[in-house]
Amino acid sequence: MLKVRRPLALAAAALAGAMLITSCGSSDSGAEGDGKTLKLWHYEAPNSAMGIAWNQAIEEFKKSHPGVKVEFEAKGFEQIQKTASMVLNSSNAPDLMEYNKGNATAGLLAKQGLLTDLTPQVTKYGWDKLLSPSVTTTSRYDAKGVMGSGNWYGIPNFGEYTMVYYNKDLFAKNGVKVPTTFNEFEQALAAFKAKGVTPLANGGAEYPAHQYLYQLALTKADRSWVDSFELYKGKADFHDAAWTYAANTLSDWVKKGYIAKTTSGAKAEDAGVSFISGKSPIFFSGSWWYGRFRDENKFQWGSFLFPDSKMTLGSGGNLWVVPKNAKNKQLAYDFIDITMKKGIQNTLGNNGGVPVAAEPSAITDPSSKELIENFNKVSDQDGLAFYPDWPVPGFYDVLVSATQKLITGSGTPDQVLDELQKAYDAGAPTS
Amino acid sequence: MKALKRYPVLVAMILGAIFMVLPLLIVLINALKSPADYSAHGPLSLPHGLHLDGLTDFWTRVNFGHTLLNSVVISGSVAVFGVILSVLNAYAIGIGRIKGKAYFLAFFVLANVLPQEALVYPLYYLSKQVGLYDTRLSLIIVFSVVQAAFGTYLLSSVLGAFPKEIIEAARIDGANSWQILWRMVVPVSRPTLGVLLVFFFIWTWNEFLLPLVMLPSNDNQTVSVALGVLQGQRLMDATMTNAAGLLGALPAIVFFLLFQRTLTRGIAVGAVK
Repeated sequence: MLKVRRPLALAAAALAGAMLITSCGSSDSGAEGDGKTLKLWHYEAPNSAMGIAWNQAIEEFKKSHPGVKVEFEAKGFEQIQKTASMVLNSSNAPDLMEYNKGNATAGLLAKQGLLTDLTPQVTKYGWDKLLSPSVTTTSRYDAKGVMGSGNWYGIPNFGEYTMVYYNKDLFAKNGVKVPTTFNEFEQALAAFKAKGVTPLANGGAEYPAHQYLYQLALTKADRSWVDSFELYKGKADFHDAAWTYAANTLSDWVKKGYIAKTTSGAKAEDAGVSFISGKSPIFFSGSWWYGRFRDENKFQWGSFLFPDSKMTLGSGGNLWVVPKNAKNKQLAYDFIDITMKKGIQNTLGNNGGVPVAAEPSAITDPSSKELIENFNKVSDQDGLAFYPDWPVPGFYDVLVSATQKLITGSGTPDQVLDELQKAYDAGAPTS
Repeated sequence: MKALKRYPVLVAMILGAIFMVLPLLIVLINALKSPADYSAHGPLSLPHGLHLDGLTDFWTRVNFGHTLLNSVVISGSVAVFGVILSVLNAYAIGIGRIKGKAYFLAFFVLANVLPQEALVYPLYYLSKQVGLYDTRLSLIIVFSVVQAAFGTYLLSSVLGAFPKEIIEAARIDGANSWQILWRMVVPVSRPTLGVLLVFFFIWTWNEFLLPLVMLPSNDNQTVSVALGVLQGQRLMDATMTNAAGLLGALPAIVFFLLFQRTLTRGIAVGAVK
């Protein structure tokens, strides 16, 4: 027995030694700033609109930069979110990276001095002329890391906004008219309810519920209201007309059965699936669902902007950022410029994305055309109102629990708004 | 009569087994569905037709073969070095006579219960200082020490009960401390060491936070980190996530099956004591 084991132990030791040796190698990263490699990280799925468009951009970049290698690494959203500040502070930083927009993310990195100020490049390449004002809000951060003014730290390639997705087949089957005003919208909800169908898909455990709430508030809001709430340019009062109306209406909708009480614990994924499987005729959510609905919906469907609201949720998409420690910055700028050109932007648009600078005539797919025209409409009327969880760190969880209380009825609208006010005041910067 | 008595136990065991296997089964059926199938029929229905794209797409997307190798190298090295470290420590504490034994043990327990989140920043700065950031070696060192903290604690109490007669006999025969360790203590406690080896391997395999932080580049990534690539910002790809989960869990299951006998033997040895 012992004789057999001896070689085994030796083999184990040898294996361990070999492992140590292999693990020592291949730790060297490329030479310093030779201008020959572009290290690129992003976290979009390869079959998403952005994934397809950016793959095309890589090909075009290789053509216009012969001899330059593109080292692309697909990352996960969580991975970049959790480790960005550490990686960017080391010599292993990429040259160009996709990063989430907002004060808590890009703003924080900008404040820590981990991102390159892109202002000179923006004017040199003319990117600012391609982007509408409400899209650029998330590209610029001041010295405190608050978005909306100051230097440029990121360039968005795409936009995102929320809309009402509706199941045309279910509307026809139940004889419900597609609404064009808010009154008609509520009538449509009532008509579905009368037929025994719960009209609205909802996920109370994640963002869908509070996006309903915020959208309802936005029907009574204007730009200065949004600026006060999101950019701290005034006092945000959760007991003002807009928020009060929103909380009352949402709780009213639940009481009338337009939103199922059981959805208080549902995830966004559940809400989306209930729309895709044809259970819910209406789902109010973001353009990020568009590609999936196009691939998976087995019925006729369409979308429209939330009726009678000048503003809706949305913003510029995620940003291209150039880390301070990037070694080949010029290559990174060249790559950003390629992704802002018509060719890539049109590809983005034709694959279910929302490009920021496409030619409307080049978008051939009719449903994509509708998607992009609606975005341009909102963006042109300065109607992108960002997301309710942005202003304060940790506000997302507060919003989720607050709207859950509204849905289950364990809190009155007034109590819920008190809770929001308290969390907001505690977290918002005082200037 | 005896057979009759066994039935309730058997039924309970079968129920228990179903309970344990069910989650894996759900992962399996969802891994084989197409996304449209999943959206239309939900997670609990059987797949309508076989759809292997999720598995193959994920494999190529994260270069899974290479990731697997990384995980095996890291977990394997940690298992071996962790056990060696534990044995050396435990030999000193459990059998050797050192002052303040209890304090040493308390120190190791303390190191053991320390949350990893607290270690993230110090380890990040240290590894950057010595130029080991983003190398697999950094992770091997860190986890060998982390696992050895538990291993030391456990082995010290096992070796504390080591028959003194054997050691005294060996000493009389002229063996020095080194020889006693390798010729006596290690062979006798081999089953326990085998269990430790398996545990260290599987624990290191499942680690997520430190590999995520310490190995930013995809070339060095481990399996558990690669699974996170699918976590989108707002969307999740349920079928591909299941496919990835399946691929990620399989090697650990295979490893467990291979070393199952070592494990049961180790537990049995513990039971006799």
